[in-house]
Amino acid sequence: MSTSIQYLLRRLGFYAIAAWAALTLNFFIPRMMPGDPASIIFARFRGKLNPEAMVALRETFGLTDEPLMGQYFTYLKNLLSGDLGISIAYFPQPVTEIISTALLWTIFLAGTSLIISFSLGTLLGTLVAWKRGGRLDSFLPPALAFFGAFPYFWLAMVALFAFGFGLGWFPLRHAYGDAVTPGFNLPFIIDAIYHAFLPALTMVMVSLGGWMLSMRNTMITTLGADYITFARAKGLPSKMVMLKYAARNAILPNFTGFGMALGFVLSGALLTEIIFSYPGQGYLLLEAVRAQDFPLMQGLFMTITLAVLGANWLVDIAILFLDPRTRR
Amino acid sequence: MASRKSDSILFRWVKGIIHNKKALSGSLLVLSFIMIAAIGPYITVDPNAFLDTPLSPPSASHWFGTTGQGQDVLAQTISGARQTLLVGFATGFFVVLIGALIGGISGFYGGKVDDVLSMIINVFLVMPGLPLMVILASWLPPGPLTLTGVLVITGWAWNSRVIRSQMMALRDRDFVSAAIVSGERNIRIILIEIMPRMLSLLASSFIGASIYAIGAQVGLEFLGLGDVSTITWGTNLYWASNDLALLTGSWWTFVPTGICIAFVSFGLTLINFGIDEVTNPRLISERNWRKYLPKGKGNDGITPVIKNHA
Amino acid sequence: MYSIHCIYQYALKLSPMVLICFILIFNCCTQHEKNSGPPPFVISQEQVSSFVRNFNPLIPSGSSRWPTISGIYEPLFIYNSMTGIYVPWLATGYEWKDGNLQLDVTLRENVIWSDGEPFTANDVSFTFNLKKTNAALDPRASWGYLKSVEAINNHLVRFKFLRIFVPGLHALTEQAIIPKHIWENIEDPVKFTNPDPVATGPFTEILRFDHQIWELGRNPHYWQEGKPAVERLRFYAYPTNEQATIALINGEVDWAGNFIPAIDRVFVGRDPDNHHYWFPRVGGSIFLYVNTTKPFLDNIEVRKAISLAINRELIVRVAMYDYTIPAHPTALADGLAPWRSETATENGDWVAYDINRANEMLDEAGFKKGPNGIRLLPDGNELFFDISIVSGWSDWIRAAQVISQNLKMVGINTRVKTRDFGAWLSSMQNGEFDMGIAWTEKGPTPYRLYRGLMSSEFLKPVGETAEVNWHRFASDEVDSLCIAFEKTSDRDEIKQIIYRMQEIFVDNAPAIPLFAEPSWGQYNTKRFTNFPTAKNPYAQISPNYPPENLLVLVNVEPK
Repeated sequence: MSTSIQYLLRRLGFYAIAAWAALTLNFFIPRMMPGDPASIIFARFRGKLNPEAMVALRETFGLTDEPLMGQYFTYLKNLLSGDLGISIAYFPQPVTEIISTALLWTIFLAGTSLIISFSLGTLLGTLVAWKRGGRLDSFLPPALAFFGAFPYFWLAMVALFAFGFGLGWFPLRHAYGDAVTPGFNLPFIIDAIYHAFLPALTMVMVSLGGWMLSMRNTMITTLGADYITFARAKGLPSKMVMLKYAARNAILPNFTGFGMALGFVLSGALLTEIIFSYPGQGYLLLEAVRAQDFPLMQGLFMTITLAVLGANWLVDIAILFLDPRTRR
Repeated sequence: MASRKSDSILFRWVKGIIHNKKALSGSLLVLSFIMIAAIGPYITVDPNAFLDTPLSPPSASHWFGTTGQGQDVLAQTISGARQTLLVGFATGFFVVLIGALIGGISGFYGGKVDDVLSMIINVFLVMPGLPLMVILASWLPPGPLTLTGVLVITGWAWNSRVIRSQMMALRDRDFVSAAIVSGERNIRIILIEIMPRMLSLLASSFIGASIYAIGAQVGLEFLGLGDVSTITWGTNLYWASNDLALLTGSWWTFVPTGICIAFVSFGLTLINFGIDEVTNPRLISERNWRKYLPKGKGNDGITPVIKNHA
Repeated sequence: MYSIHCIYQYALKLSPMVLICFILIFNCCTQHEKNSGPPPFVISQEQVSSFVRNFNPLIPSGSSRWPTISGIYEPLFIYNSMTGIYVPWLATGYEWKDGNLQLDVTLRENVIWSDGEPFTANDVSFTFNLKKTNAALDPRASWGYLKSVEAINNHLVRFKFLRIFVPGLHALTEQAIIPKHIWENIEDPVKFTNPDPVATGPFTEILRFDHQIWELGRNPHYWQEGKPAVERLRFYAYPTNEQATIALINGEVDWAGNFIPAIDRVFVGRDPDNHHYWFPRVGGSIFLYVNTTKPFLDNIEVRKAISLAINRELIVRVAMYDYTIPAHPTALADGLAPWRSETATENGDWVAYDINRANEMLDEAGFKKGPNGIRLLPDGNELFFDISIVSGWSDWIRAAQVISQNLKMVGINTRVKTRDFGAWLSSMQNGEFDMGIAWTEKGPTPYRLYRGLMSSEFLKPVGETAEVNWHRFASDEVDSLCIAFEKTSDRDEIKQIIYRMQEIFVDNAPAIPLFAEPSWGQYNTKRFTNFPTAKNPYAQISPNYPPENLLVLVNVEPK
């Protein structure tokens, strides 16, 4: 067991380094972008503000002339104490507040879509591998692959306009309607699901093919193993061999992929959120980039990076339990 | 000796592809688009010219109708193929090149080299791709070079890891030990002995990376992060969306480009399917034994165990 | 355990029914919102993905919710761009004294704050003096020319100036006034979000505030009897122009100021009886700025020739959907038309479309065409320029594409280069561009417009950031005219100065006017009426120009 702990700690160490690298990059990239937030806000008024306003704007947003390295260390220090600063685009709201709401919605939408897509895809992949050469196998993979071949936002837009705008079956924007109050009450939860339905549907449709195919591929490889042949030779029924022997082993590599995807859930389904106006992290990031809102950009990047690394580490732990081969 | 071996591998491989239905249809699909991209712009009307009534539906004079500014949609769709495909395939190429280099070296040498390179690969893997793309694309001057660069930076790590695992698996094989013992230089071993055997992996990596590049590129351009004054499939969709294509019911400005992208990606996917079928030893043997089995049996992919066979 | 196969088939059969059930349930669940009381007045002005509860009227707007500075709070006067006069609002009159170094402003009596306290001159002087101690609260840089602001009695405020600067009046009139008895207790007025505002405006009560929707209710103590007729305002979070347009088309919005392509078909066509729009051209023009520090572009005749090569009609049709008209030679659009000088208009014959003359002028200027049909610089190189546009501003990108095609025909090679806003702005301000499309300064008179075009006050060398005058052109005569303008409040003198500025403008062609800048306004007469329209232009229809939108807010009535 101690080797497993050693292994986990080593992984943790690696993730710490990766986190530091990402956060450093995260600090420098926004500052390397030309222009500064004050100029942007000034120009947003397209001539209505006085040129003298620039000084006032810079004061407001606390844009200093401190040397870059000094700002960097302040940034690291603040990060460690949980101070993400004040947003510029949503002045003067603290970044943590802005991110927390968006975070919840992104986890809700992208998280459930991912779980549905993974479960359904894995199921379908098993089925398809089972009935190799049958009707399902020749129809489903190409069909799902074709759906996945469309640019995601294209499908999303068509879905929005066909079902939302045209037929009026689904709401056109936002995470919940105006008639309900946010909280743990049933009308709100139902409304939230209703609003998430179309975006989630499009996300699932596009990614289903990928999960299905990878499960199918690992199944095919697994089915070639000797122990499977032996199980069949022993006379075990097909279903049992499929599920208890083959699928259980085939799912492991995909589980790693699932873990990584889980982490990326927090980078928000950027395009989904834009098209469906879903108040998640992805859209927030785009706004932050457009407004050169350094604090917000940094905050978002940090949550995303930490989520990805965290999810990866959790998956490492999970695989430690699921796959005895790793416990050496 | 070595070169003849790799020749025959390549030769067998290509022959297998041609005879595979999926790969063949996929290749035809992709090749036809490449042809359209190459020749098309010379035979259509000027896609930039403001010709006719904006947003007019498909008709005899404009087969795909006109855009919100009165430009010919067919001409734009055809012209758009060029840059999109170029950037897509260029990205695929560079991704595989870098992936093979870093993944290959890392997998072959092992030890400290592997530790360092693996670390780099993993750091790039965990960096959130789309946000990084958005930030980089909005900072750099827009254009095909920026797009290729951004896509390569965010996309190379995945293939690198895959190639590295394959390299590690192959390195332990006998023919490599034999080559080392006979005194071949490492570089030669990597390039001449091992790489040809990874051909199918490299090819499917190239195709996979190209699919990713085409999709991501179109996504970035749709957000307006590409150079919107050029004509590509992504910018066509950007303008269509700006002109409220679907709101005004002008589906013809939006649909053709989307379908073209889908066809190209699908074609590439089919090629990948085909490569897989041809080179996956499991699938090869499946095909072989299926010839001998009675109909209906042996459908479940498990090696069949049957009592009598002639 | 159940075979997965069976479950799967079962689920397949069930799912369409489940789906239909869902849809039916939700459709009826979400209906009951519509039956509660008089309809709210729905406005689409801001485009944000989520609302932050910030009603601080002193910080640069964009951070506070619309209509904080003109709807919740109010200014002293409102400049009506349709009539060209200052409508008395919280103040009833002003008078220049002491050779224009002193401004006495008389305040309106019987105005009460929404918490019942009386509004007095102390509030006004407090507001301005607060800006003095916090540079962040003074975006107009009023304290650059103010010496002191004092309450003389309950209804008289005296502004004393450091130097004579008559145009400074405008910024003073637009300032939102805050209550002293609330704000004197606030420690950090810059970061204070003012969640429950106490103000004088027609709407001050926050009825509801969520991230996606918020509502503003009537001020119980509003000083105008019987107004506003509307009970409450409602705002939805529309993050993109497209979402806002969808809502507008669906009839969910009553008043908006969005850019909508093909508006007749898209918006009006949906409900011709109730969906209307009006795009008056109230201010200046959109210009093509050329960097006058570069060879070839530093030549006046060249700039005029470039202007003659541009097909403004095509730009207006293709890029602006015919929502506006080509620019007037003086660059003054309809709203500022009374200021136009006839002499300047006549001499401004280079604001037209004449390819032949353009070619002639370029030939005469000594830039002959080379073997490729592109004109050559004296050193033999072909002409080539980038036209810089902000990526995402699609209408201007289209305009630039037309210009590029036009210029090709007179032998000038150009390329449209789009950049993200920050990068674009940087390059323009630093003078590191060839050509670019941008706006002009705005104001009640053309003073700021021409000052931004030709005055050396903001001139900076290439490489340094200049807030205006990016094209780096300066005229000494304009400088002295500006100083004279600042000193006088005499209407006739002002007119003469402006006329002379126009003449200098058309003689020198420092930049090239393209088309008149329209203001965007859409309105829905299904539930409300008495909007300003082209037939009844009592104010601007666009909600995008505070504080004029106050005039609309107090006059709109439910049907």
